Order: sequence, then C-alpha cells, then structure tokens
Amino acid sequence: MPTEVPDNPIAAARAQQRTLLSEVEAKQLLAAAGLNVTETRLAASADEAASHASELGYPVALKVVSDSITHKTDVGGVELGIADEPALRSAWDAIQARVQEAAPDAELQGLSVQPMAEPGAEVILGVTQDQQFGPVLMFGLGGVFVEVLKDVAFRIVPLEPRDAAEMIREIQGFPILEGVRGQAAANLEAIEQMLLQLSAFAEANPDVAELDLNPVFARPDGAVAVDARILLTADS
Amino acid sequence: MAVTRERLTRALAPKAVAVIGDKKASGYSWLRSMKTFDGPLYSVQVDENEIPGIEELGVPNYKSLSDIPERIDFAVCAVPRQVAPFIVQSCVEADVGGVTLFTSGFAETGEDIGLELQDKICQIADPAGLALIGPNCMGLHVPGLGVRFNRDQPAGQQGNVGFVSQSGTHGMNFSLTGAANGLYCSTLVSFGNGIILEAADYLEYLADDPHTEVIGMYIEGAHDGRRLFRTLREVAAQKPVIIWKGGQTEGGGRAIRSHTASLASDQAIWEAMIRQVGAVAVHNLDEMIDVVKATLLTKRTQGRNLGLIAMTGGQSVVLTDAFEKAGWKVPTLSDDSYAQLSEFFNIIGGSYRNPLDAAGTIGQDPKHLDTIFEILDADQNIDAVGMELSATFMARRWQDKPEEFERLISSLKRFMAQSGKPFLTALHPSHVEEAALQARTRLQQEGIATFPSFERAANALRKASGLRSLR
Repeated sequence: MPTEVPDNPIAAARAQQRTLLSEVEAKQLLAAAGLNVTETRLAASADEAASHASELGYPVALKVVSDSITHKTDVGGVELGIADEPALRSAWDAIQARVQEAAPDAELQGLSVQPMAEPGAEVILGVTQDQQFGPVLMFGLGGVFVEVLKDVAFRIVPLEPRDAAEMIREIQGFPILEGVRGQAAANLEAIEQMLLQLSAFAEANPDVAELDLNPVFARPDGAVAVDARILLTADS
Repeated sequence: MAVTRERLTRALAPKAVAVIGDKKASGYSWLRSMKTFDGPLYSVQVDENEIPGIEELGVPNYKSLSDIPERIDFAVCAVPRQVAPFIVQSCVEADVGGVTLFTSGFAETGEDIGLELQDKICQIADPAGLALIGPNCMGLHVPGLGVRFNRDQPAGQQGNVGFVSQSGTHGMNFSLTGAANGLYCSTLVSFGNGIILEAADYLEYLADDPHTEVIGMYIEGAHDGRRLFRTLREVAAQKPVIIWKGGQTEGGGRAIRSHTASLASDQAIWEAMIRQVGAVAVHNLDEMIDVVKATLLTKRTQGRNLGLIAMTGGQSVVLTDAFEKAGWKVPTLSDDSYAQLSEFFNIIGGSYRNPLDAAGTIGQDPKHLDTIFEILDADQNIDAVGMELSATFMARRWQDKPEEFERLISSLKRFMAQSGKPFLTALHPSHVEEAALQARTRLQQEGIATFPSFERAANALRKASGLRSLR
C-alpha cells in the first residue's frame, strides 16, 4: 500500500505542530497551484521506492525526508542519477546509513523518489515575508551561486506581468539565461509564468513564511522546479 | 474615521491660520515664519508674559481657539506634550481643518507616558476626522501661500515640487537647498510619527494637486507598507516620484532557514519596491535635488546616446568617462554631421569626433555654438546633449563681458526650445566662486538644467529616465 500524503499539507503540518513542510508536501502544494515541479513521491521502504521509480521512469533521484533535516545534502541524504532498480536499492541503503551517522536523532518519514529532470540554467525562485510589505518574491541565479554571488532581484506580491519580466532582466547574470557560448536560451516566458504563479500562491497562502525553489532548471523548452522548501509562519 | 479630502485640503491649502503656544524663548519663530501667510494669521497664547511680544509682531492673540472670530483651517501647535491632548480637543471643538503637532516626546521616546499621550491624541483626533500632521514634526510649507516653518524658506513663490518627509530636518533642507537650486515646493509636509495622516495620504493629495509636477519623499519606515506600496504604484504611474529611504529597519530576529529570507535585507526590499512602483531611489539630499531638477528641466529620451560638448581636451575625456560610467554612450556622429563640422570646426587645439572639444571654435565665433547645436539636433545617432560650462576658464571673461554670458544663455535656450532632445549642463565650482555662483543662478533663472559636476549630471539624467510616469 502506497505511503499516503495528506490532501492539505499545511493543515497536516499545523496539526503536527510542524513548520517545515517536506519536499513531497511542498511540491504537492505547488503542483496544485499550477507550478511545474518534478513529480515527487514518498516511499517508506525500498520496495515502495522501486515501485515509484518504475512508474516515474529511470533515472531517478532519492532524497531523505525528515522534519528535522533542513539541508538534505549536508547529511548525505541525496543520491542523484540512479539508473536502475539494483542501483536504487543500494542508494536506499547508503542514504539510510549516512543519515544515521550524520543525524542519529533525526526521525525519517522516508525517502522521496523523483525522476531526474533534464538540466538547464539553475535559477532560484523564492518567497519571504517582509515586516512592512508582506509577501515578497525573489528571483536569481540558483544552485550554489545564490549564496556566493547573491545575484537576486525582489518584488512585492502581487506581481504584474511587467514585474516578472523586469526582475528576470534585472539580475547581473541575465545574459546566462539568454544563452552564452552557444548555449540555448532559456524559455523566459516559462520563468515569468512561474513567478506569476508563485506570486498568486504566496497571496493565497499567508501561512507561508519562507519558500525556496532551488534550483529551478530554466531550459529552452520550459522551467521546472526540482527542489522545493516551504517553511510556515510560527503561528497559524 | 478617515480624514476627508475636504478636510485635508483645508489643512494643506489653508485660508486662515493659527499658531498655538509660540514663545519668546524660541524667538516667536513659528509666528515670524508664518508672517508671510497670505491670509489672516492668529495666535493663541494664555501666558500673560508672552502676549505683549506676540502683539508687537502685529499678530492678534486670543486666549483660546474658540475666541477667534473665524474658522481656522490650519493650526500649528507648539505646546508641551502634556498639554497637547487638550489643544487637539480644542481643535476638534473649533472645527479646525488640520493641525501640526510640532510637540514631541511621544511614541518616539519609547516611554510609557509618551505612548499614552500619543494614544490619547489619536483617540481624540481619529473619530473627529481631524487632519492631524505629526506629532514630532515640522509640519507644512506652502510657498505659494506663504506658509512656512522656517524663516529662510521662500514665500510667494508658486512651486511645483511636492515633498513628503518623515524627518523635519530633511524636509526643511530640501525646501532651503532646493530653493537655492531654483526648485520650489508646491506643498511640503514633514509628518514625523504620522499617527493619523501618513505618507500615503499626502502622496494621494499631491497626485491630485494641480501645482505638483514631481514628488519627492524622504522615508524611514511605513506603518502600513502594503498601503504605501499600493498608493505609490498608482501615484508613480501619474507623476514622477523620487524616494530617499533613510536608515535600516531591524529584522524580526527570527531564525531564517531559506536563501530567500537571508537575502531579503531591508534595503534590498525597499529598493525593489521603489523600482516596482516605477519611482526612482536616491540616497542623499544632493541626489534628490539633482534628480528632481533633471526631471523638471530636461526632456525625456529612451535612447542612451549623448553628444557632449566640452571646453578642453582633458575635460572632454573625463566628461565622457562620467557619462559612460553612468550607463550612457558617446557614439560617433553621422557622416553628414562630420561633413558639416569639418567646414568650420577649429581642429588646432580642438576636435569634433564626439565629444566635441569646442572652446576654440566657439571663441572664434559664438555663432558656431548654434551651428553645433543644429548639427547635434539633426544627428540621428544622438539622443541627448550635455555641455561643460567652465567657470574656471570663463569666470573673468563673464565678469568683464556679461553680454558674452548672456549670449551663451540665449544659444542654450534657443536649442532647448527647438530640439526635442534632453539638454543639460555641468558647471563645476571654480576658484572664482562668486562668478560660478552668478552663472549658476542665471542658468537656474532661465530654466537650464545645471549640475555641479559631470558625475552628478550623468546620474541625474539617468535616474530621471528611469521614472515610469515619464517613459
């Protein structure tokens, strides 16, 4: 029997007095709001993971799911590019062992299974709550660059289409999205659409205190969020 | 109860004014400043020791607001904080339009007594719809009506710059330094703690005010940021808005777990908000004055290509550097332009590639400047024109032969009238400072945009081009 994910992850998290949603829950919410995210399923066992993977199609990624782990890679909780079922089963065991070692007290809900997305330029889309202006959107170069280069632009929610177009073009790294050195240009309309969807999502969900979609792969054929993190406000 | 527009207009464009509680110890500075008011001015003071000095100023004094034989639209209240709630109550009873509470010592102190008094004032003013400005502020300056809070502020001059300031000092400095730069306010409000009326209320008023052509704002924080954002988005679509954000608001101190929250500094969000609404951010008084000036006095272009005229080779190089650093381009001219320039341009000690090193050519015959302007106006490669005016070189000559300077001014004005391209000048301070000052004053009188450095000129024109209402 497949592991159940509740219909309303925010209500479920509130009921359990959690503020951090799992990646699976976050993506479920965002997909329901129309955002393009990689389909991600929770597995409680290696058998369940194998069954998800065969449905989603290899190669897949396996990631640890735990309320008490914010940064999955820091505890060795991520395996990417898993090609087949034997590899999946050994990745399952490897993650369990590493997380047990790095975070022995962490309670695991399981591991998530998702298909490997075709890579593109890595960008970040995010939401935070400003004391004076309320929900605010961020866009910038994603992946590891965001911490080093801090090449980001902000807008107050709600965004108009012009705001989405302008904030993408505002970052220093914009030429990367236009395609440099023979790289194909990213689909800017797809990023703009995702920003506007995220603006509507933030407006409709005042419980969301912080949100990172990092990275989002910005490709010529569209944009897809491959990781998502949502933190709820302290009080509901 | 919200303050109605009728009430706000009575306060900000008053027909009768009263000053409450002015004192000898402060040199009767409120009354002296307000003496220029273009209408009846009254004083309210109960202290027998103060009254003779007030009457000596020729201002009729009354013991209470309700004794004044006409309805007061705008009152200034300069009483100690414990008395302030009673004065506000008397303003409500006398149907005063609005009152400025210069009085401080309220919420800004963080003391319980200050908070309580501020609360009390709110509870009196709010249900009555009283247009209360402040407390802890300098209040209102309307030069066109002679309403002032400082004796050096202009009076009788109908201005076109609306200014909203959370700080009294920065509001006052804009009115004074602005006037020295030829910029006059339509309405300036310093609103301090903003307990009844806040920045958004004044912005809405200025958006509708026919005298106001451009709006400047100094702000440190907003009580209702969402409302300020919505209001600015509407106002900045209609009129140019230039915002100077002072200070950093402290973060909430919560544990941040996302990249987005960690990067969202107060300054980053304000700058983004300003850009989003289509306003322009500036960072000090000089920049505020420069951008207001460029907005009012130069035409708009979406192009980025400048024709530059300098007086020497060295200046033509750094003039170009300054504009290119600010994002402008200084391209080559058209073949047609070069053909025309080659016919008269003096290339011994000069050049005309762009920038044009033109002192020798203009010195030979002042008409050459008009020809240069005509060529730049017709040149499709050029979107805007900047010119160096060198007081260092020309000061003595302008003093000896003022007609030469006047001739220069008419050339500039003719070009500005004929061309649709933005035009601005840079006039650095010089060793003959009074000559530079005279020249600057004349240029301002004639509505010619002039800036005290190449960098400030380049920055001002760039920022003015970013205003959404002008695009």
